[in-house]
Amino acid sequence: MLAKVKNFASKNNYTTMLLSLLAVLLLFFSITKAGTFWTVGTWKGIVMQFPEYGLMTIGVMFCFISGNIDMSFVALGDFATIMAVRYMAAHTTEGMSNGQMVGVILVSLLIVILIGALGGVINGVLIAYLNIPPVMATIAMQLVWLGLSTALTQGYAVTGVTPLFTEIGHTMLFGFLPVPLLVFIVVFLIAAFLLKYTTYGKKLYMIGTNVKAARFSAINTRGMIIGTFVLADIICCFGCMLMVSTMNSAKADYGTSYVMNVILILVLAGVLPDGGMGKIFNVLLAIISIQIISSGVNMFSSLNPYHASMIWGGLLIIVLILSTRFNGSGFKLRKRKKKV
Amino acid sequence: MSEYLLEMTGICKSFAGVHALKNVNFKVRPGKVMCLAGENGCGKSTLVKIISGVYTKDEGEVLFEGKPITKITPAEATKLGIQVIYQDLSIFPNLTVMENLAINSEITAGKKLVNRKSWEATAKEALSKIGYDIDLNAKMGELSVADKQLVAICRALLFDAKLIIMDEPTTALTKKEVDALFKTARQLRDSGIAIMFISHKTEEIFEISDDVCIMRNGENVYAGPTKDLTPKEFTYHMTGRELTDDHFVTRNVSKEPVLKVDHLTLKNKFTDVSFELREGEILGITGLLGSGRTELALSLFGLEHPKEGSIYLNGEAVKISSPIKAQKLKIGYVPEDRLTEGLCLQQPISDNITLSSLKRLSNAIGLIKNKDILDDADIWKEKFSIKTDDVRKFASTLSGGNQQKIVLSKWLSNDLDVLILNGPTVGVDVGAKQDIHALVHDLANEGLAVIIISDDLSEVVVNCSRVIVMKEGRIVGEMSGDDITENKILEIIR
Repeated sequence: MLAKVKNFASKNNYTTMLLSLLAVLLLFFSITKAGTFWTVGTWKGIVMQFPEYGLMTIGVMFCFISGNIDMSFVALGDFATIMAVRYMAAHTTEGMSNGQMVGVILVSLLIVILIGALGGVINGVLIAYLNIPPVMATIAMQLVWLGLSTALTQGYAVTGVTPLFTEIGHTMLFGFLPVPLLVFIVVFLIAAFLLKYTTYGKKLYMIGTNVKAARFSAINTRGMIIGTFVLADIICCFGCMLMVSTMNSAKADYGTSYVMNVILILVLAGVLPDGGMGKIFNVLLAIISIQIISSGVNMFSSLNPYHASMIWGGLLIIVLILSTRFNGSGFKLRKRKKKV
Repeated sequence: MSEYLLEMTGICKSFAGVHALKNVNFKVRPGKVMCLAGENGCGKSTLVKIISGVYTKDEGEVLFEGKPITKITPAEATKLGIQVIYQDLSIFPNLTVMENLAINSEITAGKKLVNRKSWEATAKEALSKIGYDIDLNAKMGELSVADKQLVAICRALLFDAKLIIMDEPTTALTKKEVDALFKTARQLRDSGIAIMFISHKTEEIFEISDDVCIMRNGENVYAGPTKDLTPKEFTYHMTGRELTDDHFVTRNVSKEPVLKVDHLTLKNKFTDVSFELREGEILGITGLLGSGRTELALSLFGLEHPKEGSIYLNGEAVKISSPIKAQKLKIGYVPEDRLTEGLCLQQPISDNITLSSLKRLSNAIGLIKNKDILDDADIWKEKFSIKTDDVRKFASTLSGGNQQKIVLSKWLSNDLDVLILNGPTVGVDVGAKQDIHALVHDLANEGLAVIIISDDLSEVVVNCSRVIVMKEGRIVGEMSGDDITENKILEIIR
């Protein structure tokens, strides 16, 4: 038994590390906040909050595995949701039936998907066809979307969300399963399936490892990269739609801090923008750990959310130090060992 | 003063219980060229790293100029006069030649400010040591590999080197550049510097070295003067087996050409290239670097797009717009640079082998079973005797020859009409080279049309039934059968 555990641990460094981290966190908060931590309220908060950036993390994970990075996803999502909420506001009237409201919601979701896909295509074309480094291309697009949204809204929040949409966002299915969590679970399962059981997933990892070799192996690398950004950005825009349901509005700068959070979580999970590596299960563990830290910190009256961000940063550094042991030679951004 | 500059006796080194070096003995005489030969993974690099202080030996004795050395760091090795020129050359590509030459000595001298004149003087002094002339203000990264190497040698000489170790310096050089490098090496040798030259190329070792030390599986199996050995004995020591050169003889050549290239022109790369290729043939395309041979291959694989001329496959005019199209047309391409173009090193061997045949292994909607991938990879592992115990290991764990077998399997698992091999045995050791050649012969005899692009003339002579020689983008000669000899090709190239 012990040998089995050891064998697993040596093969799955990140999983072991994240499971240990989770155990330490649970133990720590159980002891220090025994009264408040294990309550329904706390856990309700935890499962309500993480699906928003959890979705975005899954989206950006695809970009990372393909050896790319996306900095534009929140700005793009905000733009998409602003357009969707504008549509909702224009088409929702007093005394609408539920059926009519469902229609409005579906159209607005379609708007979100289309804008997300458009953003993905632009990112993908800039990177795959025009050879702009992914960080630069997506930072530029972030500015474009942010500027566009701010100009459209003068920086004000856009209200008028169809009531049914907000209601669904706060519904507990069967009394315990919040709809945002259900959305997260579904997307997570689809993503895991894509990575593990489809040729798309296989090719994604290979492209991330060496895009040139993939091209020489008759893989449509450009198409793959564009497709990946489309997929990633649509998932991210759905994450922003969950934000709309909690905030009951859309705004040009909602969730901007999520950009760094998402990157933090991915690196914590061992999904590096170098590409070609990382497991989705580890991403899940990392998302939950990060959420537990921020929820836990909230329970200390002397601490505020900024302390949570401080802890995340410290954690990231520890993980980076540890990972140098996992990889032997540490983090190498876009640098591959030449075989002698 | 001892007769030997460097003496190593009973050197052992193991990594995590695996013996990399077992009781290695060897000696370097001053003013001589000594070759360290052996197949990939035999411990050559480990030995060099022990000499240069990167690794510490577990057991054994090292004498430098008769004095024992117990522990040595890279900095101390430099002080003693040991300089290693690694394959990657450790240069700064963004700096100029002058800066590259002067930077180390200026920094060691503790200077904080840049004095252009003194840098220039240092750089000029370095170049004058081997009488080498190059623009001091040229960007290092823009130089050819050969020039980079010579600059690296000059830099090494600034440190009063007594022993210069060159790690496979000829890998990326053309014949002409190799000659220039050897001239410099002889010059250095005559001035009393000992040169240790690491290689696995038989001809080169016989051309340049006075002494040779052959290693196999971490042991040295031969050490002594080169002239006491015949090339055959040398190969035997290196591989541990007798090797024979089987000249390829065509068996079933089809009447109609599979591939016909008609007046193909790619601007600034090649002009008016025409040839035909039949089933069962192995066509060699040779020429110096820059002769357009690689661009021609890339055009046939859809990565270059010639504007003029046409390509016919089985009599039909085709446009090869991308590698995907090439695959559909049953053309496979094994690229020149295995590491950057051929493999995803940090991914499993199995995924590398099946990368081009995922469509075949998956169902209609793109679902794939890991077991199918592993099974397919295992078939190729058996067929090509790829040396690994588990195809789930990373491709980076294999030696050059086995890696090349992966790239070959990747294409052969597709149904092919034409297979283009660009430098199929570059950086591959003698044993694996024979395996690959034998394999290509079999494929051709089974009806595949093969093109081998290579500047290794002996390879071209042994394997090809017909040879096209390219020079400055044009076909300047064609020969077939027994007419193909190294000398004839050389005459045309020069």
